[in-house]
Amino acid sequence: MEELRRSGTGLIYRGAEADLFKGKWHGLDAVRKVRKPMKYRIAALDSAIRRQRTVHEAQMLHLSKAAGVKAPFVYDVDPVGATITMEFLTGPRLEDAATAEGADYRGLFSALGGNVATLHAGGIVHGDLTTANVILSPGGMALIDFGLATRSEKVEDHAVDLRLIKETIAGAHSNISRGAVDALVEGYRGVRGGEATKRVLGQLANIERRGRYARVV
Amino acid sequence: MPRHVLGVESTAHTFSASVVSSKGEILSNVKSVYAAPAGSGIHPIEASKHHAREATHVIEAAMSESGIRPDQLDAVCYSMGPGLGPCLRVGAVVSRTLAGSLGKPLVPVNHAVGHIELGCLLTGTEDPVVLLVSGGHSMVVVCSLGRWRVIGESLDLTVGQLLDQFGRHSGLASPCGRAVEQAAAKSSNYLPLPYSVKGNDVSFSGLLTAAKTLCDQGASFEDVAFSIQETAFAMLVEVTERALAFTGKKEVMVVGGVAANRRLSQMMDDMAVRHGASAKGVPVQYSGDCGAQIAWTGLLAFRSGVRIPIEESSVRQSWRLDTVDVPWRN
Repeated sequence: MEELRRSGTGLIYRGAEADLFKGKWHGLDAVRKVRKPMKYRIAALDSAIRRQRTVHEAQMLHLSKAAGVKAPFVYDVDPVGATITMEFLTGPRLEDAATAEGADYRGLFSALGGNVATLHAGGIVHGDLTTANVILSPGGMALIDFGLATRSEKVEDHAVDLRLIKETIAGAHSNISRGAVDALVEGYRGVRGGEATKRVLGQLANIERRGRYARVV
Repeated sequence: MPRHVLGVESTAHTFSASVVSSKGEILSNVKSVYAAPAGSGIHPIEASKHHAREATHVIEAAMSESGIRPDQLDAVCYSMGPGLGPCLRVGAVVSRTLAGSLGKPLVPVNHAVGHIELGCLLTGTEDPVVLLVSGGHSMVVVCSLGRWRVIGESLDLTVGQLLDQFGRHSGLASPCGRAVEQAAAKSSNYLPLPYSVKGNDVSFSGLLTAAKTLCDQGASFEDVAFSIQETAFAMLVEVTERALAFTGKKEVMVVGGVAANRRLSQMMDDMAVRHGASAKGVPVQYSGDCGAQIAWTGLLAFRSGVRIPIEESSVRQSWRLDTVDVPWRN
């Protein structure tokens, strides 16, 4: 981090759990993702969580690319400092691109659905699929922030993944909510096929029924 | 001329009545809380019998304390749900009877929206990220396009249930939140427990099982109480932080019974500072269930034209807050 400061660059994004710094890594544009200590968590819990998520995220970034989804290349991992140095991807975030005037948000969410399906078909769950974690880079749509990603073939986990995007769309993009969700599902079906998609959507409906006060009685 | 309404709350263990004015004054807020026997939770039928016994006295006290005559009321508001059926029905019957005999309009209120709107009134918060934490809810909520929208929640137990079931396992009586908080304050020995955040959602069931197991294996109640609070609250603060970072809002508000926990509000403050946001907690006497949340929200609804004919004024045990239109926020 200090090195980055010295090279005249600094904080580019303050996320919920980590700060992103832009800089160079052996001449390449790089992002350094630093999981800072959270004052609200006691130290023992905090350092364990930050270390575990850092190592895990680096592994998941690698596996996701192997599955066929575009994600940043990992350059360096520092578990003690809870820092990952990785490729810098240029381009707008989906949350901004989808709400821009005249945006083809259906096309964008359909592409996202396709990427998520590719990930799931490869046995990986992203775990944090918000529209802030999708970058429209010149080389194509890329997913970032694999801090909560896990390996799973379970329909339940795939459904939870989709549910998070639905929650995000409802909360942050309510005006395009229905069209965006429909497009997402279409894109997902396009990659995973009707059978797998039907199972995941069925489980998604089950999960939503399990939600508090969701017309159970 | 200011308007006045009576609000009646009876979703779970609390029967409460309150009179508020359209100026936002809480003129009275009288409660009677059903106490469960040690080691057990709320028995819905027993709680409803308690409510039926207490209703007249609580409403009379709320009216006389307010200084408002029944004929000066503009409406009667009741908690239609979500909650325990037998308990809800007592409040609904009483409110229907009052509205009918006084010839006043009846206004249905969603209990969860009630917590949030009363919180906004009392903390002067306008557009917050809300953490609603109680025995019935653990949700992160923001307002968008005329509804409170859930952007994260517990996938299984609520945090109130977590603390209650943990406390009851050690022989306490529901609600156990305060006793667990007091025990936790005596320890600083953290025992590792499962920390389960899934995106914007949390899961507490594994945490509960692990905490009970630790107690059964002879760990001190204080240590486990401390560890369960640290773990569960950190999970809730983390998902609230995610919502705050994602929505870019500048206010955080914690409401519901568990909002009374000082450790939770301290953690929320620590988190909010990092985002240049302010964290607000509802004063303790209003954080738990109370008539004022129903009266104030009912007043907002009443002014937006919300009414319900008596013949349709049933109760809704399952009534998610994100299905409720809040026209006063448009």
